[in-house]
Amino acid sequence: MSGNYFSGLFKGVKSLLVGMGETWKELWTKKVTAEYPENRKTTLFVSDRWRATLTMPHDENNEHACTSCKVCETNCPNGTIQVIQKVIETEEGKKKKVLDRYLYDLGMCTFCNLCVLTCPSDAIVFSKDFENATFTRDRLKEQLNKEGSKLREKKKEVKPEAEKSAPEAE
Amino acid sequence: METIKKLILEKLPEAVIEDKQPLCVSVEPKQVHLLMETLYNNPEYNFDVLLKVIGMDWGEKLGVIYFLTGSKDLFAKEIVVKTATADRENPLLYSLTDLYETALLNEREIYAMFGIRFINNPDMRKFFLNEDWIGYPLRKDYDGAPALNPMKVESKEIQDVTRRLTEVDGKIQEERIDIFEVDDYIINIGPQHPSTHGVMHFRTALDGEIIKKIDVHSGYIHRGIEKLSENLGYHQILHFTDRLDYLSANINRHCLCMCIEKAAEIEVPERAQYIRTILDELTRIESHLLGWAAQCNDLGATTAFVYGMREREMILHIFEKVCGGRLIMNQNVIGGVMFDIYPEFQKEVKEFIPYMREKLIEYDRFFSHNVIALGRMIGIGVLKQEDAVSYAITGPAGRASGWSCDVRKHKAYSLYDQVEFKEVIRKEGDSYARYLNRLDEIAESLHIIEQLIDNIPEGSFQTKTKPIIRIPEGEYYQSVEAGRGVFSVFIDSRGDKTPYRLKFRSPSMSLVSAMPLICKGEKLADFIGIGGSMDYVIPDIDR
Amino acid sequence: MNYSQPLELSHVTAWLDEVLRGAMPEFWALLIEYVLIGVVLLTLYAVLALILIYAERKITAFFQSRLGPNRVGKWGIVQSVADMVKILIKEIIYVKKVDKVLFYVAPFFMIVASMLTFGAIPFGQGLQVVDFNIGVFYVLAVSSLGIIGVLLAGWSSNNKYSMVGAMRSGAQFVSYELSAGLALMTMVVLSGTMQLSEIVESQRYCWNLFNGHISAVIAFVIYLISGHAETNRGPFDLPEAESELIAGYHTEYSGLQFGFFYLAEYLNMFIIAAIATTVFLGGWMPIQVKGWDTFNQIMWYIPSYLWFFAKAAVLVFISLWVRWSFPRLRIDQLLNLEWKYLLPINLVNIFVMVLLVLSGLTLTGLFPNVFGN
Repeated sequence: MSGNYFSGLFKGVKSLLVGMGETWKELWTKKVTAEYPENRKTTLFVSDRWRATLTMPHDENNEHACTSCKVCETNCPNGTIQVIQKVIETEEGKKKKVLDRYLYDLGMCTFCNLCVLTCPSDAIVFSKDFENATFTRDRLKEQLNKEGSKLREKKKEVKPEAEKSAPEAE
Repeated sequence: METIKKLILEKLPEAVIEDKQPLCVSVEPKQVHLLMETLYNNPEYNFDVLLKVIGMDWGEKLGVIYFLTGSKDLFAKEIVVKTATADRENPLLYSLTDLYETALLNEREIYAMFGIRFINNPDMRKFFLNEDWIGYPLRKDYDGAPALNPMKVESKEIQDVTRRLTEVDGKIQEERIDIFEVDDYIINIGPQHPSTHGVMHFRTALDGEIIKKIDVHSGYIHRGIEKLSENLGYHQILHFTDRLDYLSANINRHCLCMCIEKAAEIEVPERAQYIRTILDELTRIESHLLGWAAQCNDLGATTAFVYGMREREMILHIFEKVCGGRLIMNQNVIGGVMFDIYPEFQKEVKEFIPYMREKLIEYDRFFSHNVIALGRMIGIGVLKQEDAVSYAITGPAGRASGWSCDVRKHKAYSLYDQVEFKEVIRKEGDSYARYLNRLDEIAESLHIIEQLIDNIPEGSFQTKTKPIIRIPEGEYYQSVEAGRGVFSVFIDSRGDKTPYRLKFRSPSMSLVSAMPLICKGEKLADFIGIGGSMDYVIPDIDR
Repeated sequence: MNYSQPLELSHVTAWLDEVLRGAMPEFWALLIEYVLIGVVLLTLYAVLALILIYAERKITAFFQSRLGPNRVGKWGIVQSVADMVKILIKEIIYVKKVDKVLFYVAPFFMIVASMLTFGAIPFGQGLQVVDFNIGVFYVLAVSSLGIIGVLLAGWSSNNKYSMVGAMRSGAQFVSYELSAGLALMTMVVLSGTMQLSEIVESQRYCWNLFNGHISAVIAFVIYLISGHAETNRGPFDLPEAESELIAGYHTEYSGLQFGFFYLAEYLNMFIIAAIATTVFLGGWMPIQVKGWDTFNQIMWYIPSYLWFFAKAAVLVFISLWVRWSFPRLRIDQLLNLEWKYLLPINLVNIFVMVLLVLSGLTLTGLFPNVFGN
C-alpha cells in the first residue's frame, strides 16, 4: 500500500520531469513561424500548382485564346464562370460568335480545376497570386478578358478534338 | 452464401433475392425486423454490423437500403436488404435500433430527409433539420424554393420533447417523451465551443461535474451534398468529397473515384495507384497528427498542439507541391490523378519519414507517459467491443476496442494488398487506447510509404476519360479506410450522366452517436477529452 | 559589516523623507509620502503586469517553437502596451441578466487582494511599504481574498459555464490555501519569525532553502505547486479551462473588467514568486559568503531590488515552463494531489522541520562559523 503510494508519486514526478525535458529541448530549437509578409520575397513558398485565382493570359497584342465555347461554364459545378458571347461580322462577311465578357466570381470558386482541365484551347490558367482579399464580395467578381482584347488567330490547324470540344450542354 | 440464401427463404419465403454482388434481399417492411434478426443471429456468420443505412426514393416507393456485414471478419460476407413502402403521405417502417444502435441517428436522418418514420425508434426527431422544416429534401419531388424555408434571424428554442411510435395490436400509437428531466442542469456544449471541433452541439445534463445525459444536435453546417450531387456530373461531384471529412480529403476522393471507375470500368494506371496510395497514407498521418494534437489540446496541453501542427505542416507542404492544395487537395480524378508527382517528391517524402519517427519518440516522451495525461485517459470513456460493433464505430477508435475493422486489411483496395503493415488493435477501448492507436498508425503509415516510395513505376498517371461519364444502371458500393474509419460511397445509377442517388457513409457520425453512451457518468472535463480521443470531424457528419 | 551600496534606492527614499520632514510638519510630510508610495506601487503594479504578459507570451512561444509577438516594435516589445491600450478603450458589454452589483464588484476583489499583498513584499533593502511583524500571516490572509472575486464573478454572471468554473475554483482554492500556508509555516518554524524583513535578514549567509535542506526543499516544492494552483494557472487552470468552460468564471466579462482579471492573474503569479523568493531564496539579499569581504562588496554593487527581481524571474520562468509542459488536471486529480499527497507530506514535513531546528541539524546549526549570522 505505502509502496504503491511512493512509487506512484516518484513515477509520476519522473514522467513530469521527462516531459519538461522535452519542452526544454524545444525551447532551443529553430522556430518555425513564417514571418509573412516580410518573407514575401525570401522564404515564402507557393507551389506552381497552387490554385489561387483564375486568369486568362493575354499576349503582347492583347489577344487571348478563348473561343467562348462555354465548356468551362458547363463544367463548373457551382456557376462560378459566366461566358458572355457577342456576334461580330468577319471580313468575309460571315457572322461569328466571339467572346464579349468572361466573368469569374472568385468568391464562388471551389478551385476544382475542372475549367482549366477541360478548356479545349488552354485559354485559362490558375495563377498562384494568392493575395486576393477584398473588403466587399462584389470586388471578387472579375472580368478575365481585358478591354479590347480579341481571339488569337491560330497559325496551325486546330486539332479536331472531338472528345474535348463536345460541350456538355445539350 | 448459398446457406444464407436458404436460411432467408426458410424464414421468409416471400423474400425476393437478387443474385448479385453483394447479395440483395428485398422484403416487405413488416418482415425487415425478422430478417435482420435472422441474419444477426446467423450462427455461421453474424451479420452484426449495420454499415450503411441508405434512405431511398425510388419514385413511387420510399424505402431504405441496409448494408450489412459481420464484425468477425469484416466484409467477408456482405448482404444488402431493401424495403420500401408505397405510402408517400405517411411512410412508416420498422426501426432496427434494438439490434443495431447505429440505426438510431441514421433513422432520424432518414426521417428528416425522406419523411419516413420508424416504428419503435425511441427518439423520432429529425436529425440535421429543424422540426418545422417544410418538405423532405432528398425526395425527388422536393420543392427547394427558398420562400418555403426562409432564413430566420431570430433564434429558436430547442425542442426537448421527442416522439416515439409504437405498434400495439396493429395500431400505431404516438407518445411524447421528454428528453431531460425538469430539474436538469443543462449546459449547451456547442454549437460555438472551443472543443467541439466544429459546429457540433451537445446538450449536456450535468450532476455537478458528472454527465448525466447527452443529447446530440447536428446540422448547423449541413450543405446537402447528397442532394446537390444528384444534379451534377460525376466529374463535378468529386470536389465535394474533399469537403466532407476535410482531414481525409484525399482518401474520401479516392473512394468516390474508385467507385466510379469500378462502375464505368475505367482502368487506372499503376503509377496513379502508387501516387494515390502514398498520398492516402500521408493524408492519414496528417489527419492523425491533427487528431493527436487536438486531443492534447483538449486535455489542456496547448504546447503539444503546436508540435503536432508543426509536423503536419511538412506534409501539407508536400501536398501543396504535388497538387496545389493543402487541405482541399483535389488530386484524384476519375482514371488517375490530376497532377503527376514533382521531381523531388520521393526525396522529400524520404526525408520526412525519419524525421517523423524521431518526432514520434518525442511525442511519446512528452505526453504519452505524463502522469496527468494518463489519469485523464486511462479507463476514461470505455467503449466495449460489442458497443463499437453495434454503433459501427470503425477506424482507430473501433480498433482501440479490439475490433479488427481495417478496410485495408479486410477488403484491400489500391495497393494495400501488396504492402506489408500491421493493423493496430488494442483491447482496452478507453481514451488512452485510442490515443496510442493513432500514434501507432502513424508509424504503420510511414512503414507503408517506405515500401512504396522507391517503386513508383514510370508511365501515365491518368487514363483519358470521356468528358461525360455515364455509369451503367445498377448499385455500386465502395469502402475505404479513411482517417476516422470506414468511409464508403453508394451510387445508384440509372445510366444517366448524373447519379440517381449518392450516399456517403461518414465514420464521424458513428463516433458522435456513441458519445452519449461512453460519456455517461464521466466528468465534464473528460467529456471534452473523450471527444478529442474520438476525433470526429463535423463536416463529415453534416454532409 | 557595512558595504557601500551606491545604487540602492533606499538612499533616494531616505533623502526624500529628510527633505519633506525638513520642509513641512510631520503630518503633511507623511501624507505626501503615502500618496507617493501609492502612486509608485500602482505604477509598479501596471508595469510589472505588462512585462510579465510580454515575457509569458514570448517564452510560451519559444517553448512551442514559435516566435511569439513580433509585430509591434522590435521583437514585439510594445505588444503588451498596445494590448493594454486596446483593453482600455474597449467597450464594456453590459450583460442583461447578471446580478448587477456583484458582477461589477467582482473584478475589484481580485485586484484589491493582489494589491494588498503587493504592499507587504520587500522588493529591496528598505523598499517595503508595511513591515508587519506578522508579515507571512498577513500575506496569506490577504491573498486569499481573491477567491471571493472569482466566486462572485461566477455566481453573478448568470452563466452556467461561469458557475461551474467558480465552484471548481472554490474547491481548488480552499484546498491549496492549506498547503501553501503549511509550507510557509514550515519556514516560519525555521526562521523563528513571521516578519518578512527579518526572514530576509536571517538568510544573509545561507538561504532558507539550503538552511533547512530536505525539509525546506520539500516545503519549497509544495509551496510552488500550491501557489501555482492558487493563481489558477495551468496545469491548475480548471476554473477557466478554455477547452471545457470557454473562459470559466470570466466568460461574461469584457473590456477593462476582463482586464482586471487578466492583470490580477499575472500579478498573482508574480506575488507567489516574490513570496517564495523572500521566504526561501533570501529575498533581496545578494549572495554573501562569510569572510569573503571583496566578493560580498562586489555583490552589493548589484542593487538589492535587482537581486529580488532576478530571483523572482527565475521562479516565474519555472512556473511558465510547468504551465506549458503539462495537460490540465481534472478536478478529482487536483483534489487527490492536495489531500492525498501534498497535505500529508506537508504535515510530516513540519514535524521534521521542528525536529531539525530543535536538534540543531540545520546548516546554520551545524556550521555556525560558515553560515551563521
